[in-house]
Amino acid sequence: MGLNAFKLIEPATVHEAAAELGRLGEQARAYAGGVSLLPLMRQGLVQTDYLVDLKHLPGVDDVEWDGLRLRIGAAVTHRRLETDPNVREYLPLLAEAERHVGNVRVRAQGTIGGNLCMADPHADPATPLLIHEATVSLASVSGPREVALDDFLRGDFETALDPGEVLLAVQAEPLPEGWRSAFQRLEHSYYPTANAAAAVHVQDGRIGAVRLAAGCIGPRPRRLRELEAHLEGLSPTDAAKLILEGHAHFFESLEPVSDLLGSAEYKLHVTRTLLARALEQACA
Amino acid sequence: MPEARSSVPLSVTINGQDWSGEVAVETTLLELIRERMQLTGTKRSCESEVCGACTVLIDGQPISSCSYLAFEANGKQVLTVEGLANGDQLHPLQEAFVRNVGAQCGYCTPGQLMAAYALLQVNPKPTYQEAAEWMSGNICRCGCYPAILRSILEAAEAS
Repeated sequence: MGLNAFKLIEPATVHEAAAELGRLGEQARAYAGGVSLLPLMRQGLVQTDYLVDLKHLPGVDDVEWDGLRLRIGAAVTHRRLETDPNVREYLPLLAEAERHVGNVRVRAQGTIGGNLCMADPHADPATPLLIHEATVSLASVSGPREVALDDFLRGDFETALDPGEVLLAVQAEPLPEGWRSAFQRLEHSYYPTANAAAAVHVQDGRIGAVRLAAGCIGPRPRRLRELEAHLEGLSPTDAAKLILEGHAHFFESLEPVSDLLGSAEYKLHVTRTLLARALEQACA
Repeated sequence: MPEARSSVPLSVTINGQDWSGEVAVETTLLELIRERMQLTGTKRSCESEVCGACTVLIDGQPISSCSYLAFEANGKQVLTVEGLANGDQLHPLQEAFVRNVGAQCGYCTPGQLMAAYALLQVNPKPTYQEAAEWMSGNICRCGCYPAILRSILEAAEAS
């Protein structure tokens, strides 16, 4: 089945892109790789008169290390994030998660900016990015702003992106010296049922500091900060036990939902298991 | 203010041949290849980037041509299954698929071949596991996976 007719706008500057998206409102959609958008248009779930192609904006294809943070342009593909030497060196947790996105064709075409703006809960990149305390750079005609990814993600298919605003880049810091990380996921036909990421600093056989994030089982991925605080000072074995058997309220913020991929109870069980495995892998 | 266009001029190299024409912006690469270029080796199937039947290469990268807008290929090299053989001489991958019976109904085969070709471009000697992971995005409903994998590893060994 063919796509309905639309018009293509290819702005060369951020100001032009934001102005066009603001002016056209609901008639237009921001477009980058198209891996999520084009199937939705074909299925009639998204109807649009205009696509505003963001791939010609300055800097959106760049991966840059500034000495403190890695800046990843919005149009950088998953395949590039999986293979880029800077990503593998500074954000190996993200590179590992990117290896699992969709399939090799989706990774060659789909972009990090599109992935984050679509905010499909069944996605992998945001979970490791939360561990890295990532921020996103947004811009509108009134100027730029930088927002924590944790605040940008609002719910299923919902973000803090305003009408007439574009996402230009995501920034993330490497883990501090001596930390290690691991990513785990369970998938059903490319689509992650649950994912989990852990980063940890082990000192004298005990957990000195830890970060945990999990996604896909509810509206959006979350850091599990209360659980993190309870793991500090424990041995890796005791920490894994607490993740597996600890009180359910540690995971309440994930708001697991029952759907075709499983019941909320099952998904929470899987998430606990993946988190414990990620922690043990990072500690090993 | 940037112009809003319904169609754009397109110049691509398709299997080594130059092609130019005006295309509507909503035209997918699959529609361009099958309907205007009359290259019908590339198959339409799931239309949602899951099955891999429509796999073609853009500058060496495999993509789902069903969900790739044709105008994006401007200035790029497109390779389809018709471009694999050298005249009557089949590509080593094609020969291996024939030898191992790496197809039953054959509908997914063009996509399998193009995904396999892309793999060997970036990883000329893949392990079984590496090949299986790369090819996991190409579905064969007849279940010829063992023969497909064997064909890829044999073609890699031969080259």
